[in-house]
Amino acid sequence: MENKSVFIFEAGQIGNYLLGTAIQDPEKNTYAEAMQKLNIQFSDYEQMLWSSMMKGKRRMAFIDAALALKDPNNNTRRKIFTMLAILEASPNYTSYFLSRKFSIFYLLKIIVVGIRAVARVVVGMVIVKNIKRKCS
Amino acid sequence: MQLTHDYIIVGSGATGAIAAHSLIEAGVNVAMLDVGIEDEQYKEIIPNKDFISIRKEEKQQHEYFLGKQFEGIPWEMSKVGSQLTPPRNFLTRFAEKYIPFESDSFKPMESIAKGGLGGGWGLGCYVFSKPELEAIGLKESEMMKAYEAVAANIGISGAKDDGSPYCLRDLQNVMPVSELEQNLNGVFSAYDKQKNSLNSKGVFLGRSALALLTKEKDGRSAVQYKDMDFWSDKDRSSYRSWMTIDQLKGRPNFSYHKNCLVLKFVEHNAGIDVIVKRTDTNEEQIFTCKKLILAPGVLGTARIVIRSFDHKKDQLPVICNPYCYIPTLQWRMLGKEIEQNKTSLGQLVLYLDEKKDNFDVGMAALFSYRSLLLFKLIKETPLNFADARIIMQYLQSSFTIAGIHHPEKGSSTKFIRMMKNANTFTGDILTGQYILSDQEIKTNELRERKIRAALRKLGCQPLKTVHTPHGGSIHYAGTLPFNSYGEEFTLYPNGKLAGTKNVFVADGSGFNYLPAKGLTFTLMANAYNVAKNALKNE
Repeated sequence: MENKSVFIFEAGQIGNYLLGTAIQDPEKNTYAEAMQKLNIQFSDYEQMLWSSMMKGKRRMAFIDAALALKDPNNNTRRKIFTMLAILEASPNYTSYFLSRKFSIFYLLKIIVVGIRAVARVVVGMVIVKNIKRKCS
Repeated sequence: MQLTHDYIIVGSGATGAIAAHSLIEAGVNVAMLDVGIEDEQYKEIIPNKDFISIRKEEKQQHEYFLGKQFEGIPWEMSKVGSQLTPPRNFLTRFAEKYIPFESDSFKPMESIAKGGLGGGWGLGCYVFSKPELEAIGLKESEMMKAYEAVAANIGISGAKDDGSPYCLRDLQNVMPVSELEQNLNGVFSAYDKQKNSLNSKGVFLGRSALALLTKEKDGRSAVQYKDMDFWSDKDRSSYRSWMTIDQLKGRPNFSYHKNCLVLKFVEHNAGIDVIVKRTDTNEEQIFTCKKLILAPGVLGTARIVIRSFDHKKDQLPVICNPYCYIPTLQWRMLGKEIEQNKTSLGQLVLYLDEKKDNFDVGMAALFSYRSLLLFKLIKETPLNFADARIIMQYLQSSFTIAGIHHPEKGSSTKFIRMMKNANTFTGDILTGQYILSDQEIKTNELRERKIRAALRKLGCQPLKTVHTPHGGSIHYAGTLPFNSYGEEFTLYPNGKLAGTKNVFVADGSGFNYLPAKGLTFTLMANAYNVAKNALKNE
């Protein structure tokens, strides 16, 4: 079992990736509690992916994007998914999840995000392939 | 220990509760035997506030939205009951241990909770048509009175519109319809414009009749539109069977026995012995009664009957509505804010009745999406979580989900079978097979295609069609089919189990056919009649 400080660090990294902002202590603590209870186990390959993801939010985005398409049930994504749920169920971050009235120009942002998501898949595929090769 | 009662009812679900209520009103002495699992974790910690206020204000909301063990963050949905929210998880708790079921092709959901699966009922009420009731094996004249009596008891709201012939028919005991939420209002407005064209193709849309109070009744308040329907029953506006049980507990002629898993019954001249295995002590106990009413749900009744008839037959037929759901995007709702006060219940129903004879009708209940939280939707996209969050936050107000049920009949490839198994609590296990014929699959696919086309006309663009494993509709019937010949493992039309003198079945075991429309209201009406028949036979 990893110690709490490792989980707190992970929570900060994932939260920053998901919402692009620094995450507060209560949500980090809830993530640590969740990890202790869920006890998600990694294979060697998943451990290498995870270590790479922890290097920064851009890297996490690339790898997550590639896995979402090719290996959506990968356990590294389960950790990110758990943090996503914790952030949604927190009063500090409701504005990132609840519906609100968006201006018509927001549609442009959605299109840009969609294009970025596809680009992230392309880069992510290369990174994941590289990690897989190293692992085998 | 031996106890003697006039009537014993097995099970506290929708049918057991209604049968008990009818008997208690008639003044007889009734004992209810039930395992009676209850929610002890969440009921008290969910605040009596609306969804948005909770989301914005409550620091500990993750305890009930995600679960104390984080069981509400579903990673793999293969487990039965994994679609339930943490506060509703108790509905299926311990089912695997006490009433195990194993099958690759049939995944039923069962409950041994107090109030049974009724605790998660979507509240849709449908008065079946005459041809539907006849196909089931029920008499319309008797059922119409029973529908009225049950409606007066539980409280039903609805409206007279194009959907009425398929749900309310001529039901009199109806409260005014609930306020329609913004998302579904868009669909309803589109229907008004497309009505003639849709009707010519046999498509009709109407407000759902729901077991939801819009006026105060018996200490239950009218719906408060808090959008917490999947999480809590704080205002008690949604009917749940446990409410009837709690109400009956105050009556001197009713006793409720918890932790009692009924194994079998033995009928003799002096009465009926009901053999129970206690879930708290693992000891066997015998209750005696003059008359027994079985209402633990179709599969539970099958277990008891097979054991009671010494396994003369281990295989019984079963019927379950095929179910799928279609997430759609309703363009006109894009980028809008969802209103604070609403309900997440399926307030609209689309019917596909091409022959216009109110038989073999396809049905799609329409829901919006919010209170089940966005992260579950985000997981369904093939995108990275960060980008998917931005896109789904924008799209969420425009999601309209259509839950489609198909009508269903039995066949030789749909059955359950009891097997001995020394490793289980009861020494046996139920298995089963559920395979549709090619023709049935083709018919259902065609129906889905027509419903998708209708949804498009209503401004809802279908994204994909998700088929759940057989059993996912949670509608089961037909294990002890109604007939009048008195063959073993069948029911007489009055609900009496053939081969017995005083054993009745109040759940859907006798139904020979399952309309696509939800059957809970009809199950309750039938249970009301079965209780009356049991009394008549006095």
